[in-house]
Amino acid sequence: MAKIAYYPGCALNERSSHLDRSARDATVKLGFELDELDTWTCCGAVPPVSEERVMNLIAPSRILKDVRDSGRDILITICDFCYNTLKRTNYSIKSDEITRKRVNAFLADDTPERDYLEKDDSLWEDYEGEVKVIHLMEYLRDELGYDKIAGSLEKPLKGLKIAPYYGCVMLRPQNEIQLDDPENPSIIEDFITALDARPVKYPYRTECCGSYLSVSNPDASTRLCYRILTSARNSGADAVVVSCPLCFYNLDSRQKAITEAYSDFKPVPIFYFTQLLSLALGVDCGRQGFEKHYVDVTPVLDKIGVSTGKGDE
Amino acid sequence: MKRIGVFVCHCGINIAETVDVKRVAEEAMQMEGVTYAQDYIYMCSEPGQALVREKIKEENLDAIIIAACSPTLHESTFRAAAEEAGLNPWQCEIANIREQCSWVHTDREKATRKAINIVGTIVQKTRLNESLEPIPVSITKKALVIGGGIAGIQAALDIADSGYKVILVEKESSIGGHMAQLSETFPTLDCSQCILTPKMVAAGKHPNIELLTYSEIEEVSGYVGNFNVRIRRKAPFVDWSKCNGCGLCMEKCPAKVSSVFDRELTTHGAIYVPFPQAVPNKPVIVKDSCIYFKTGKCRLCEKVCEIGAINFEQEDQFIEEEVGAIITATGFETLPVADLAEYGAGDVPDVIDGLAFERLLSASGPTVGEVRRPSDGMVPKEIVFVQCAGSRDPERYKPYCSKICCMYTTKHALLYKHRVHDGQSYIFYIDIRTGGKGYEEFYHNAEEEEGIIYLRGKVAKIFRDGDKTVVWGTDTLTGRNIEIAADLVVLATAVIPKDSTAELVKKLRIHTGPNGFLSEAHPKLRPVESINSGFFIAGAAQGPRDIPETVAQASAAACKVISLFSRDHLEQDPAIAWVDEDLCGGCRICISVCPYDAREYDEEKGIVIVNEALCEGCGSCVAACACGATQQRNLSDSQIKSMVTASLRGE
Repeated sequence: MAKIAYYPGCALNERSSHLDRSARDATVKLGFELDELDTWTCCGAVPPVSEERVMNLIAPSRILKDVRDSGRDILITICDFCYNTLKRTNYSIKSDEITRKRVNAFLADDTPERDYLEKDDSLWEDYEGEVKVIHLMEYLRDELGYDKIAGSLEKPLKGLKIAPYYGCVMLRPQNEIQLDDPENPSIIEDFITALDARPVKYPYRTECCGSYLSVSNPDASTRLCYRILTSARNSGADAVVVSCPLCFYNLDSRQKAITEAYSDFKPVPIFYFTQLLSLALGVDCGRQGFEKHYVDVTPVLDKIGVSTGKGDE
Repeated sequence: MKRIGVFVCHCGINIAETVDVKRVAEEAMQMEGVTYAQDYIYMCSEPGQALVREKIKEENLDAIIIAACSPTLHESTFRAAAEEAGLNPWQCEIANIREQCSWVHTDREKATRKAINIVGTIVQKTRLNESLEPIPVSITKKALVIGGGIAGIQAALDIADSGYKVILVEKESSIGGHMAQLSETFPTLDCSQCILTPKMVAAGKHPNIELLTYSEIEEVSGYVGNFNVRIRRKAPFVDWSKCNGCGLCMEKCPAKVSSVFDRELTTHGAIYVPFPQAVPNKPVIVKDSCIYFKTGKCRLCEKVCEIGAINFEQEDQFIEEEVGAIITATGFETLPVADLAEYGAGDVPDVIDGLAFERLLSASGPTVGEVRRPSDGMVPKEIVFVQCAGSRDPERYKPYCSKICCMYTTKHALLYKHRVHDGQSYIFYIDIRTGGKGYEEFYHNAEEEEGIIYLRGKVAKIFRDGDKTVVWGTDTLTGRNIEIAADLVVLATAVIPKDSTAELVKKLRIHTGPNGFLSEAHPKLRPVESINSGFFIAGAAQGPRDIPETVAQASAAACKVISLFSRDHLEQDPAIAWVDEDLCGGCRICISVCPYDAREYDEEKGIVIVNEALCEGCGSCVAACACGATQQRNLSDSQIKSMVTASLRGE
């Protein structure tokens, strides 16, 4: 089975382990394996690329260089923050010669072999952005093909109406990410269609969930999530699908606060795209980690005739 | 030995601030051949030119050098002055010490030394300059105007009125262009049709204008005064000489085609005229939409046409014409709403563009002038107008200002208020730009008397919610986010060049700028001429502009053509390539490098000659010639060698 280099990142290692596991289950069903890097560090989660400081790019650059040095040229990530950070770091290294030189100077200084390098720098090969950073959903769309998924469904999600939620960093900035049009995207809609479910149109799919405001100004995030979820619900959605762990946290866990603040609010189940994918590919429901969700997903599962099997984990 | 005079210009402080002009004159005086040198504050002014003329005579000069600005600016000025004082114009040279020296340097000492060096180089060239005579070229006194909008119509009428023949070519079946789509025009609110249609009729009937509608330019060759043009007359599948415009065929046609003229708010048959006031008022059949052409059955139009004007066998025809000048007035298009993802990408039915709103306001439009929205025909009570939709947005769309939108949006809001008295309109804007006679007053009246709400800020998103169209924007003056659930949204989409312009300029060998609009020879001093002689430009094909400016520019372009035609013959610059027939081996390498098709192989002599009318003197063939047979007049090898030597000696 083909193995593709995979960078899980911090969230998938811990709080969002159900995103990690459902992705691994689903990809195996689709004929390839997510091969976690032997060693990896924190990517920095977007702050590295939000200001122009080369020092901040060192950690993500080291991850990319390690992938290159292991002889691979594709790296899959799933978390939108990891994807954004790694892809944009790679873009900076590729497109800007000064950044490239400075990053490599730091990396060389940082290696355990630096004493040898001082004597013989032929051992060193600059990292020049050779690795292609790919979002798992991008891989499914462009490399595997959504039609391949549509042809492999064991449990089509027929009858489900799903609202795609893009969040902020999966698509922006467009010139560096180039995954889809950030103002009028279709990659998640097409994914939903491939699972035989129906994508719901609603205006808030690309609006902000509050991101880290969840920590510093939770009320603001509550208000934003209320608007997103209510709009999705009013447009007929049974559930909202996301790929970003922070979006998931805000849209799912925050529903407790939303329910307290807004009397008219009705809960909306949230899914990771990988959970829907692995369910549709026939992976056992008990492996999806639904016990980690704040909002009960049973009403959605009932609709497609899947038994919850809670507590199987 | 030639007696050379050097005149050094201060150009106010443009040159004198960075270059020590007095020292340049002193140093020039020391150069071999220079017998007189002088500086002056404005050499191009009358006293400056008088100084030049006077010293030519007093000092008995054989040649002069003006050390000043670029030759593209004032070479002709000083050559005329030299001629007046009895010199051959080609004994006058320009040493460019402004654009190529003072403007681009800051170190006064180094700039001065460079200026001296430039003058020294030109002295070397001037010493060996020959006296030349201009080459006379004949001229065909007939103009070609491409594009039948208001610009093309105006230019054609002006040229025709002065007695010269004009061919007016229009791609669509009728002339009129975008102006025919408009309702009323700012700032005087006169009806567009009322002021345009008489001009269309006049152009259609003028004895000096040959109207070729439903036609396109296939090929253009030749040069100023003598262009050969091949025009494709597309087959309308209707014999226009028979058709009396009764319109029965259009009534009966069962096909449905979205109307481009009505911005797709209505449909018409596969046989149609774009609008009732069309000139010529003759229908065409759209082959791709015609049921007969698609299925082989129908021919209903043929059955109802009593005079038998329908002809399905018609084929495109080609016409060859000779003309002396060409005006390009191909107009504009607007950025498609579908390109604006954040504004619904064309999927929200009640988001339309300014031209569609013009059709809704127009008495001859699909709603007979009543403002009704496309989705359900309801009269909108709240309209949001969004300016700069795709303009002034270098990151996502067009970097430039589309210029006409501030005024037409204000006009739209005002006309809407006149039609729907209890309606409310909002205008989102970045700045309100009202440069134009009576424009600011027009805007102030709308804002203060008509209750239109102006919101300074951009719109972030537009989407459909039930039967409302929701607009999210921001008001940067209060710092608040604005949400309006509107009944209709009108986007002032960016003005862009027509798709077909890019292809046309290749055939004409004229140029466009970074945004695809036609380039002028000089943005201030030669605004209606292309850099290639014989080509003129008018209207919005050159950049966004309103009707008054377009008409003024069209008349200006016409005037340039008339002035060209007023001469008996044209004078071609003689400083071009020539061939030493004894040296030329006929290898023909020059033919392959010539961008102007000016080199021709002479079978009889076995050499390659120069077509003097076509040669622009670019020097490509001179450089390419392996045996030195091709030389440039007044830029001979020996001149260039001595110039190079002089320039190297300076450092």
